Amino acid sequence: MSVEVKNAIKQFGAFTALDRVSLKVESGELVALLGPSGSGKTTLLRMIAGLEFPDNPQESQILFYGEDVTTIPASERKAGFAFQHYALFRHMSVFENIAFGLRVRPKTTRPPEKEIRARVEKLLRLIQMEPLGPRFPSQLSGGQRQRVALARALAVEPKVLLLDEPFGALDAKVRKDLRRWLRQLHDEIHVTTLFVTHDQEEALEVADRVAILRAGRIEQIGTPDEIYDRPASSFVYDFLGNVNLFSGRIKDDSVVIGETAFALTEKSGAEDTDAVAFVRPHDIRVTRSASGQSTLPARVVRCHAAGPLANLELERLDGGGWFTVQLSREQFHELQPRTGETVYVELKTVKVFAESLPINYSI
Amino acid sequence: MTPAATTFHPPREPRRQLNTEPVWVRRLLISLALSFLAFFLFLPLAFVFTQAFAKGIGFYFKSLTDPLTWSAIKLTLLATGIAVPLNCVFGVAAAWAIAKFDFRGKNLLLTLIDLPFSISPVIAGLIYVLVFGAQGWLGLYVNAEHPWFPWLAHWLDEQNFKVIFAVPGIVLATIFVTVPFVARELIPLMQAQGRNEEEAARVLGASGWQTFFRVTLPNIKWALIYGVILCNARAMGEFGAVSVVSGKIRGQTNTIPLHIEALYDDYNFTGAFAVASLLAFLALITLGLKTWVEYQNARQDETEISS
Repeated sequence: MSVEVKNAIKQFGAFTALDRVSLKVESGELVALLGPSGSGKTTLLRMIAGLEFPDNPQESQILFYGEDVTTIPASERKAGFAFQHYALFRHMSVFENIAFGLRVRPKTTRPPEKEIRARVEKLLRLIQMEPLGPRFPSQLSGGQRQRVALARALAVEPKVLLLDEPFGALDAKVRKDLRRWLRQLHDEIHVTTLFVTHDQEEALEVADRVAILRAGRIEQIGTPDEIYDRPASSFVYDFLGNVNLFSGRIKDDSVVIGETAFALTEKSGAEDTDAVAFVRPHDIRVTRSASGQSTLPARVVRCHAAGPLANLELERLDGGGWFTVQLSREQFHELQPRTGETVYVELKTVKVFAESLPINYSI
Repeated sequence: MTPAATTFHPPREPRRQLNTEPVWVRRLLISLALSFLAFFLFLPLAFVFTQAFAKGIGFYFKSLTDPLTWSAIKLTLLATGIAVPLNCVFGVAAAWAIAKFDFRGKNLLLTLIDLPFSISPVIAGLIYVLVFGAQGWLGLYVNAEHPWFPWLAHWLDEQNFKVIFAVPGIVLATIFVTVPFVARELIPLMQAQGRNEEEAARVLGASGWQTFFRVTLPNIKWALIYGVILCNARAMGEFGAVSVVSGKIRGQTNTIPLHIEALYDDYNFTGAFAVASLLAFLALITLGLKTWVEYQNARQDETEISS
């Protein structure tokens, strides 16, 4: 266990940023803290860096490799931190920015000038910016600045690398490139890394494990597959997006959506409770005729088949709103749907969350 | 871009409408503004110099090298030499505390810093007279029958230590009126720059002093110099507060502005203007330095933006 947070509480006035958060990160792991704004993810990261301190120091703990650092200030924690807006020292060159962490060390532990130069040059090679050492931060692009911020954090050989929205301020293409680069970099140097993001795609693509935060609590933590395939709550399902919501009612062993009843895989024992069924767009089958009993009638509103998958926008005939279906190209060509015609949909994998019940069901 | 390549031409009409004032109106407004400036700013300045040299260059230098003038210059330099560095340190400390930390009474501190701007300098001087004068707390303490620290009262009495009508009072008054200059200049800048760079330095292992000298200070360099220039100009030219506490003893407690008044009261107009030209020179130098610093600052901003 390289980083462990136990039971941390943090409040800013009346706002609760962290509500008894506990988190364990294995050595060498790349973990994403994912959540909407205000969910406490940045506060958690700053707390690990030592820029914020928990409100309950008696009950809470922060451990680096088993060593209690709860009351140790940021300057002695040996964490590397890259800020959302980079926070590069604007009056220093790229080279001096990266060298800063080494130069401010006390004389006894400061490496000699020659070694500092060698280390900085090695880092400049690592971030692929070798010739740009003498430049100033103002003369760099956003992506370059972010890489310098990373190199500066890595220069002090941190026990933990903390990145606050590392790609937040960049445009889409640079973002994708840098994402891939970060993953490669992590595979090369294997430093335990936590990064904050509000972009689910980014978290699922880059991280070994993803922690989803909501209102100061960790809602679920797991590998990207686990999170995507088995969301622990309706919030996680909703937040990860790419999902259709069907509201209905649970009646004993079935869920009723519109006028159609779908059988549940287990008995709920509940009498008539509000419930929401979550269905991913690729877990829906579309047919021309109402073959089985459990099909919903819908009207085709729009179809677009650009790219490897075809998207259908459908409107429920029972007035329950719109939903999206994803078909492979073959399925799409087989079906040949036309705008305005009526089709019948079958829900293949469904997760039902009942608001008043502690248990969740699948169909 | 060639006109053919643009797909959208903004309508010309509204722009022309903004400039529809007839030529004579524009010329009238401009000449009004210029003649106002000439009459109230340039003319008096020119008058100072013509009067100063009215009795020839010999008399001008004789006025400046007069022992009383020389003592006024020395006293002004002394008061400024103490007030400006002190306010520089205080201003940076206050601005740092206000911009980078949250604490109780932050707004009170902000208001207190502005106090010397909002209070009349004469009142500021009077406060010092009330506190440190012969009838004030200091006088009562030294003359008390059983003071708290008898040795201190005795020593003060023996040294004939005085604040009012003496150099310490002048220094205190000068410090008081110049408190806001440096702090006011730095606070908005430091607030705009935020705490991120300092936090980054801390995480990288820098101590508080290292963070200040290596990160904060270089970022506020130009604003600090600008504040010091303004503070210096005000410290040298201060009249009101200093005139209350000085007692105007010639050769002892007269600063340059007080000495000018004394010469003028003696009907020595040329001498008064000769010394006044010193302050006018100082004003011109201040303006020059101010423009240069603003230029440097703008250049720095420009390199930051052009990326």
